[in-house]
Amino acid sequence: MHFEQHFQQIVNGLTLGAIYSLIALGYTLVYGILAMINFAHSEVLMLGSFVALGLATFAPAVFGATPLGMVAMFAVSMAAAGLVNVAVERFAYRPLRNISRLAPLISAIGVSIVLQNAVFLWISTQALSFPQPGVTGQVSLFGASVSALQLLILGSALGLMGLLHFFVEHTRMGKAMRACADDVTTAGLMGIDADKVIAITFFVGGALGGAAGVLYGMNYGSIKYNLGFLPGTKAFTAAVLGGIGNIRGAVLGGFILGFLEVLASGYIPDGAQWRDVIAFTVLILVLLVRPSGLLGEKIAEKV
Amino acid sequence: MNAFLRSRWTAWAVLAAAVAFPFLAHAVEFPYLVRVGGVVGLFMILALGLNFTLGYVGLFDLGFIAFYAIGAYTAAIAMRAHLPAPLAIMLAVAVSLAMRALLGVTILRLRGDYLAVVTMGFGEIARLVINNLDSLTNGPKGMQVRPWRPLSMVSADPNIQYYLLILAGVAAGVVASRRIEDSRVGRAWVAIREDEIAARLSGIPVREYKLLAFTLSAAFAGLAGALFALWEQFVTPESFVFWESILVVSIVVLGGMGSIAGVLIGALILAGVPPLMQATLSAEWINYRYLFFGLILVLVTLFRPQGLLPSARRESELGS
Amino acid sequence: MNRRHNAFLLAALSLLAASCGPKEKVVKIAVAVPLTGDMGTEGQGLRRAVEMAVEEANAAKRFPYKLVASPFDDRADPKEAVNVANLIISDPRIIAVVGHYNSGCAIPAAKVYARAPVAMISPAATNPEVTAQQLSPDWIGPKMVFRVVPTDDVQGSYSAEFAFKKLGKRRMSLLHDKTPYGQGLAEQFKKVFISLGGKIVTEDGVAVGDKDFKALLTKIKGGSSRSEGIYFGGLYTEAGLLLKQMRELGMKDPFIFISGDGSKTSGLFDVAGDSADGAYLSIVGVPVEDLPSAKTFIESYKKRWTGSGEELKPFDHFGYEAARIIFVALEQGATDREKMIEELRRTDFTGVLGQTRFDEKGDTLNKIVTMTRAKAKDRSFVSMR
Repeated sequence: MHFEQHFQQIVNGLTLGAIYSLIALGYTLVYGILAMINFAHSEVLMLGSFVALGLATFAPAVFGATPLGMVAMFAVSMAAAGLVNVAVERFAYRPLRNISRLAPLISAIGVSIVLQNAVFLWISTQALSFPQPGVTGQVSLFGASVSALQLLILGSALGLMGLLHFFVEHTRMGKAMRACADDVTTAGLMGIDADKVIAITFFVGGALGGAAGVLYGMNYGSIKYNLGFLPGTKAFTAAVLGGIGNIRGAVLGGFILGFLEVLASGYIPDGAQWRDVIAFTVLILVLLVRPSGLLGEKIAEKV
Repeated sequence: MNAFLRSRWTAWAVLAAAVAFPFLAHAVEFPYLVRVGGVVGLFMILALGLNFTLGYVGLFDLGFIAFYAIGAYTAAIAMRAHLPAPLAIMLAVAVSLAMRALLGVTILRLRGDYLAVVTMGFGEIARLVINNLDSLTNGPKGMQVRPWRPLSMVSADPNIQYYLLILAGVAAGVVASRRIEDSRVGRAWVAIREDEIAARLSGIPVREYKLLAFTLSAAFAGLAGALFALWEQFVTPESFVFWESILVVSIVVLGGMGSIAGVLIGALILAGVPPLMQATLSAEWINYRYLFFGLILVLVTLFRPQGLLPSARRESELGS
Repeated sequence: MNRRHNAFLLAALSLLAASCGPKEKVVKIAVAVPLTGDMGTEGQGLRRAVEMAVEEANAAKRFPYKLVASPFDDRADPKEAVNVANLIISDPRIIAVVGHYNSGCAIPAAKVYARAPVAMISPAATNPEVTAQQLSPDWIGPKMVFRVVPTDDVQGSYSAEFAFKKLGKRRMSLLHDKTPYGQGLAEQFKKVFISLGGKIVTEDGVAVGDKDFKALLTKIKGGSSRSEGIYFGGLYTEAGLLLKQMRELGMKDPFIFISGDGSKTSGLFDVAGDSADGAYLSIVGVPVEDLPSAKTFIESYKKRWTGSGEELKPFDHFGYEAARIIFVALEQGATDREKMIEELRRTDFTGVLGQTRFDEKGDTLNKIVTMTRAKAKDRSFVSMR
């Protein structure tokens, strides 16, 4: 009985962590290349989930409950989220890149607010029911029974992370991205079109966020206009925890945060109400004690 | 324009008009305007405070409303302990200052974007802590605040009394801001904002001055919070959500960062128009206001980063 | 320049005309509820209920003047509620207020209404403080708050007795959503359950908007606490998610789930689907469907409001009743605000809620609570006797 409970909690932690990791990757990719926090990322993930809902509602024949339909829904939602991210970069960030540190930040917050309220005003203020894969019930794993849905979500997230790893490490574009993340000016001197790489980075980051949004909807069965805020902020914490700009760090940070939250809700008496406080406190502590994060490197600023 | 805004005559004229305003409102049988005036005044005080942090020094603070909450709850708790109201107000300011200083010492070494997220996180922490610490704050059920009606000889209407108190707060805030702006400290802040490294190299104690700006802003928030608590006679965590911080940031950005007249106008527009719309137009339009705030932030930053009524310095810095 | 000038003139003139008002005598009832935002759908329902009552009265030519329902949107924000209250008291044609929906709004707004004074009847604010504050020495003004809905203590206590005596549970887990409503219900449940001899084995708060309760539920399910059920003080979205995740974790009969009237709505089935089956939900008063007088109300409502999203909401019949109680007072000659308050105190009205009378605080003496059980198959709630 005890083992089953702990095992379930581990699965809880992994699933939550996987979703956080996907979102964190979006933040970290953008930060690595532009040294800016994409505040609109939380809304991009929310839009991903809404696009998926739209597809399932208005074209159920194509994007229905069949495995192929689900994959298609995923792909289209991810692409849509990626494109939104690219558009945001192009129109709200690029013009401000050289003005000041503050300007893109303010603009980013503005975009975030606009996107959230657009959904609030023109789609729905209420929680909307989200289609779930026909996977129900429990599976028996290592003698304990776990929710099959959780395993599916965990598997999908890990699969996407694997794809990202392949893309970044083993393709030419991935190499260009890594080069720009290192030093964008030198990369430019080497003949890399920095603007294009930046756009692709935003696309990939946004797509991952969109995927997280879809998985989020599947996991909980409902989505709302403000679903991005809390997971987004927490995933940012995770990215910072792992070392912002560092891809492995984002994944590590995501899982650590997921487990911390499960620890609070699942093992501390009356701990659930402090769950969010824990996430924010971890953020502050990490930034104070080790701002480069667990896996990040210290970079000295040349004067 | 700047000369007009800075002239003594203008200041006195505006003050006189502001004092007369509530009585005129009653004369035309539109007392609701007094309530709106008070609400706008509270946001003016908040904006003047955030102006220190965001406007003068350029620190991106997304959790300012936490100190509004701290001020309000401190005053409420002090009133519950049967302390006299003026003391409650002073305590509210003191506690706000102290906590802000503590926060500042801890986080001010962080860079712009990190600072933004950390302040946002702290804002949420403050609200959650207030919500969870039932024994002290009564949690989500909210706290009643004993009534305080100090200006009863002027008017029996508490809205008028508090309007005047808030107006005094705004006036004090403007005077304080102007004084510091023109002082060595103020000029040092501008230097820090423009180029922190150069400022440090020219001998300005950057860390201390940043902390000063950061901390002083909380005095405004604490004062506004206390006045709010005493006026509404009820405080609840629901009044201090993240959106309110965004509203104050929008006011400062729209009005012109670092410009006193600018943030006052910004508050008049962003905090005054929605309740007025409530009285005249259909309620649905007000729901668009957050969308407008977001658009304002983006468009102002893209096309008029110096704001509506920028200070001369900002105009030369950012204007085209 | 000319065109702009004309447009401006036209706008100014129409504003002037609008504020002048018609010559015919009009008596207004303000409906102060959240009309937009998260709680907008519930507030809109209340508005529809009051509007329907007003239309019925006007059609039957019940009064020698025209009755109008004036909606005001407080967006469930306490500051907005005070703004709205100030706006309401400055309109002398408004004779009473049906509102507010949230206790957090009703409490500060009531203080403003007391200054006028204008009567406030709440159809949904259940925190005891809404009326209790009138007894405090700090209260300025007459007592003018009324409530047609029983307070949280009533529901919480009833549920505790039900769980202990009817269902035989001795060890319960307590959950609430950290709002005045949810926490109020939970605290009352705890008090009574313990006094009966039961044990509260775990106690947790969640936040409105929280989605992930798996870890929490796993803890509750886990062996050491031997919990026999969950009492949840909160609204249907969180209740629905809890139920869903409970079933995903294999938590079902005889492990019970009890919640209050905030969860007893069709929205619960939207969120939880079949997982909602078997959940116990208490409601205040007798279920609308069971009262003969209410049947007419339900039918008229369905006929009058046919748009999508305009279905009957959980508190609508309370709003309807509040309006009709005001009508009775109007018939007794209460055509100004002070008289309205006096007449309302004398209310003895039988309608869709059964019999309504008010105690000296303004709380309804009708403290009936009914327990229902959710049936997912036909999205209904079956009353338990």
